[in-house]
Amino acid sequence: MPEAIELRSLTRWYGKRRGVIDLEADVHEGEVFGFLGPNGAGKTTTIRMLLGLIRPSGGSARILGLDPWTQAPAVHRRLAHLGSDPGYLGDLDAASLLDHLGALRGLQKGAWRSLAERLDLDPRVPLKKLSRGNRQKVGVVSVFMGREPLLVMDEPSTGLDPLMQREFLALVAEARADGRTVFLSSHNLPEVERACDRVAIIREGRIVKIATVAALVGDHTRSVNLVLGRPAAEGAFALPGVTVLSSTGQDVHVMVRGDINPLLRCLGDLDVRDIAISTPDVEDLFFRYYEGTVAGSEGRVVATGGTGIHAEAAP
Amino acid sequence: MTALSFRLELRRSRILAVGLAVVVLVYGGLIAALYPILLANTAQIEDYMKLFPKGFMAAFGITGSLADPGIFFTTYIGSFLWPIVAAIGAIVLATRPTASDAERGWADLPLATPLTRGRYLGAAILGQVVVLAALALATVGGVLAVGTLVGAGFDVARFTAAGVVLWLFACAIAGMTSLLAVITLSRSVAAGVAAGVLIAMYLFNIVAQVQPDFAWLGDLSAFRYAGVGALIDRGTVDWVGIGVLAIVAVAGWTASLVLFRRRDLLP
Repeated sequence: MPEAIELRSLTRWYGKRRGVIDLEADVHEGEVFGFLGPNGAGKTTTIRMLLGLIRPSGGSARILGLDPWTQAPAVHRRLAHLGSDPGYLGDLDAASLLDHLGALRGLQKGAWRSLAERLDLDPRVPLKKLSRGNRQKVGVVSVFMGREPLLVMDEPSTGLDPLMQREFLALVAEARADGRTVFLSSHNLPEVERACDRVAIIREGRIVKIATVAALVGDHTRSVNLVLGRPAAEGAFALPGVTVLSSTGQDVHVMVRGDINPLLRCLGDLDVRDIAISTPDVEDLFFRYYEGTVAGSEGRVVATGGTGIHAEAAP
Repeated sequence: MTALSFRLELRRSRILAVGLAVVVLVYGGLIAALYPILLANTAQIEDYMKLFPKGFMAAFGITGSLADPGIFFTTYIGSFLWPIVAAIGAIVLATRPTASDAERGWADLPLATPLTRGRYLGAAILGQVVVLAALALATVGGVLAVGTLVGAGFDVARFTAAGVVLWLFACAIAGMTSLLAVITLSRSVAAGVAAGVLIAMYLFNIVAQVQPDFAWLGDLSAFRYAGVGALIDRGTVDWVGIGVLAIVAVAGWTASLVLFRRRDLLP
């Protein structure tokens, strides 16, 4: 069984300008794979090669075992695509556009109707009169209205309000439950964290990390603040992966790298009045990859907000 | 799928086609309505026209008596209005499916479906053929219709044949512009080069007519092959001209199709 997507040393140059370099990745069937990076990192270049719109300068990409450049129509029968800023024909309304694209994909007329209702999209308004968010809804409807086994989306929730972002994440979850594969490029970190099984972080055209979201977060350091009823004995926190950062007797701040269970077992023997454990989220990790300081991370207590990352975040 | 794309292409061309058709119908009709007046005053008009330099006359296709329907049609429409209308229509239509739609991001949507690039562009080319034919028909039809009403006595068959030549002229522009658009993937560059080449050809044709030493320049001009005066007045068909226009059109479109299949579509 081929992987849904296989990238092997995939490289693209635009003359002397870097697109992407030596991308290696496998996207398994049925998973939601996040492709994370700021603008200009190479996400859209990668997606355009996956769609067969541009040719690799080197290496190869395979979609369900097929070459997207030489076998584009066969590949396109198996995927649905949503671009980051689709250039819709302004004079058409959403219904006409979706019917046209649906017909090209072999779908029945009106296949979009239930999704449009679900996303509260008025299909009769000319596209040029739609707001950015509503135009993005058209794209979301378009990508989910078929039954293709692979969905490729480039910053799909840009412009959607929080309610619609939640609805979008629900659609992604339903697609995964149906066994469809989702390749989701984004710089919206909370979205990736909530939607994806695995994440690739792309930095300046190169993939610097591929891991499950759980592993990405779990492998890193947690910050634990303790308030004890009485001071702990000397060496009480001499445990694997545990570093005491500060201790004032009853207030103790330790860092735990990796498995937290030894610390939890140790705490069972102590008089713990309060505890706060903060874990890093994807955003923390992402920034660390962009700053090149993956080790020695510090955690955060709460999840991130819905902010995006822009090119100036890169070093 | 080709039919779907073709229908969308026609739908997208409606405003352009109707707008240009109204222009050629109204202008052609007005000019045709004036033909009997011109015919009744031929001698005075020709005396007046002798005041102008030969080059100036040639620029407007006046290479004989304005009383001749062929010279009349060439002067007011064939070498004046139609090149403008054909250039606008052909350049807009030929740059749209590739350069324009790649720039605006529309091309990504149909080309991420099972529709092949060949069928996508083929449908657009078919749309160009049909829209340009409709414009040529409107141009000749307006003149013929009003000419009949005012008793101008225009030869329907010869005017219809002239319409075919006008259509081929527009197709040649579209074919070459289509190729430029695929090569550059830039609407402004392709349109600019196409318009520049047309203006240069127009000047070549004039220079060739007034300067015998530069007669060879006329061979480089599409306007030379698109002349319909002799066809309307004497029924003489310029098969070489028709062949050149048809070959340029087909070659341009074919090369576009071949190249577009291999072209990186950069946003």
